[in-house]
Amino acid sequence: MYIIGENIHIISQRVKDALAAKDARFFQELAVQQVEAGAQALDLNLGPRKKDGTEVFPWIVETVEAVVDVPLSFDSTNLEGIEAGLKKVTKAQPIINSTSAEEERLEKVPLVAKRYNTRLIALTMGKSGIPVSADERVNIALEKLIPRALEIDFPISDLIIDPLVLTVSGCQEYCPELIEAIRTLQFAWDPPPPISVGLSNVSNAVPRENRPLINRVYCVMLMGVGLKMMIADPLDEALKEAIRIVEQRDASTPVGRLYLTLHDRVAAGEELTVDDVDMSDPEQVAIWKTVQILLNKVIYADSYLQQATTA
Amino acid sequence: MPVDIPKDKWPGAVRTITLGATPAEGGTRARTVTVGGEKALPYMHFEAEMPYRPVIALEIKDRRPDDWSPLLLEEWGEAASDPASWAKAAEAAGADLLVLALSLTGADGQPTTPAAAVAAAKAVLAASGLPLIVFGPGQAEADNTLLLAVAEATKGERLALGICEDKNYRTIVAAALANDHLVTARTPMDVNLAKQLNILISDMGLPLDRILMDPTTGALGYGIEYGYSVMERLRLAALQGDAMTQFPMIVTPGFEAWKAKEAKVGQGVPAEWGNWRERAITWETLTAVTLLESGADIVVLRHPESVRRVRAAIDDLMTAPVTA
Repeated sequence: MYIIGENIHIISQRVKDALAAKDARFFQELAVQQVEAGAQALDLNLGPRKKDGTEVFPWIVETVEAVVDVPLSFDSTNLEGIEAGLKKVTKAQPIINSTSAEEERLEKVPLVAKRYNTRLIALTMGKSGIPVSADERVNIALEKLIPRALEIDFPISDLIIDPLVLTVSGCQEYCPELIEAIRTLQFAWDPPPPISVGLSNVSNAVPRENRPLINRVYCVMLMGVGLKMMIADPLDEALKEAIRIVEQRDASTPVGRLYLTLHDRVAAGEELTVDDVDMSDPEQVAIWKTVQILLNKVIYADSYLQQATTA
Repeated sequence: MPVDIPKDKWPGAVRTITLGATPAEGGTRARTVTVGGEKALPYMHFEAEMPYRPVIALEIKDRRPDDWSPLLLEEWGEAASDPASWAKAAEAAGADLLVLALSLTGADGQPTTPAAAVAAAKAVLAASGLPLIVFGPGQAEADNTLLLAVAEATKGERLALGICEDKNYRTIVAAALANDHLVTARTPMDVNLAKQLNILISDMGLPLDRILMDPTTGALGYGIEYGYSVMERLRLAALQGDAMTQFPMIVTPGFEAWKAKEAKVGQGVPAEWGNWRERAITWETLTAVTLLESGADIVVLRHPESVRRVRAAIDDLMTAPVTA
């Protein structure tokens, strides 16, 4: 699993404060920490920075590249700021995160990506928003995103399709559809375009204590349909352990076996069943309940883990 | 060509819930009202019998309201100035049960006291034998103080106390627990929040046959389609076996419809909107009937003519032959 580290994100108050203070050391530590934890690229989400983007983006590039060598992902809508940052990149091939299928964005952003030889994350989202159904999302990739790349001779191997993870708390019906979108997208082109998602979005608005469980169970399910790249928290050890179990097919623990069964069932287009789960093991029960909400079988509630199972 | 109508068979069912207690059951009600028990989507009689009809509650206030339409005040006349008279008039107008909505302040502008709330509730219980739902004014502190007093003074009546909300439910649930009442759980058009509140309330130990849920709905033309979808989704989950959504639904189309411009405003609207009274009643009736079709078990109305029309609609919906 190729993890793009998500932790330099303006939504975090510490990041916000550090940016205001231009605290280079804070960003360098956070960058090193993520790379040491296994991040293979770093997402830089500093917001739109409408006023000072052309100054802040170059600053963050120089700051971070002073301590790590990995690709940097410019997560912003400020194209001018992104360009200013790209000019400063001296190390790995960077990533622009992102374009959508919306006309104006799709016109401009891929040209910048081509000019600076970056990879480009492209969202399956048009001007009317994010479609629920998997097919509609795949169609956006097929009818808009990939054709635009071909049109300007942008390599499909650098076009990273992001079919968009939405939160189980409020957009629950999107969760199972995203799984199918990833499955189908791999047949969208030969060879298949790279696919990436923002994993943690699945637990936005979920109480903090439940977020890691939902993230890692969803991750295992998405790996079942072939996900190999994502923006996620590389400091989440339990997440990385779940990924390791799946990648190494480590069936040495009961929970590991359940993850592998879950992965294989999703891969086969089947569903996990009660018989796959040892209901006397609270950890397995929690995984089972989480699968049920992610498949939109049971309505999500913040206390969903407390609810008795009704299988 | 014979057409084979596909039938769903659902594993779950909505809970059956009884409001009100007769003298034999520890209360003073002349009769009780039972709702819920559905085993199929609304009025799909060919899939499963609907064991209980949806019911109509009329909303009355503890004092003459300041913010109700003149059409309503005109209709209820002097009765609207006294909760006991209003309760009798509402029973005569054909209500199956009553909702007493407490005001935040008295006619003198001072906050409603617990004693005044208890007096109003007792007057209503003495004037009418119908089961009763009591709603607080909708502000956490006032709701808690007033409902606690009412709950204690009416122990054993199996009232439904509202409104429990996610930020304010503990006191009301505790009052219901201690005094043999029910609660209504209200959430703002959101399936996740609705289910969460039901879990929180049941975690306090209130038996599951004492919870009604109010998913809130909007009025015709004002977001009712969102309310409809939320109710539909909750009901589908209930039928699929999700225990924390298997509660009968109470909705307030009277409140919703009478704040819509079409019902509220008599002057300065296009002439083709037609007669104001007719339009307002139509708005309330259509809002209510739409919600019945999305699974409402209790509709709370304000105008007696709407009661007649909604009852006629329920009669029609319930008379389709049962061939399950």
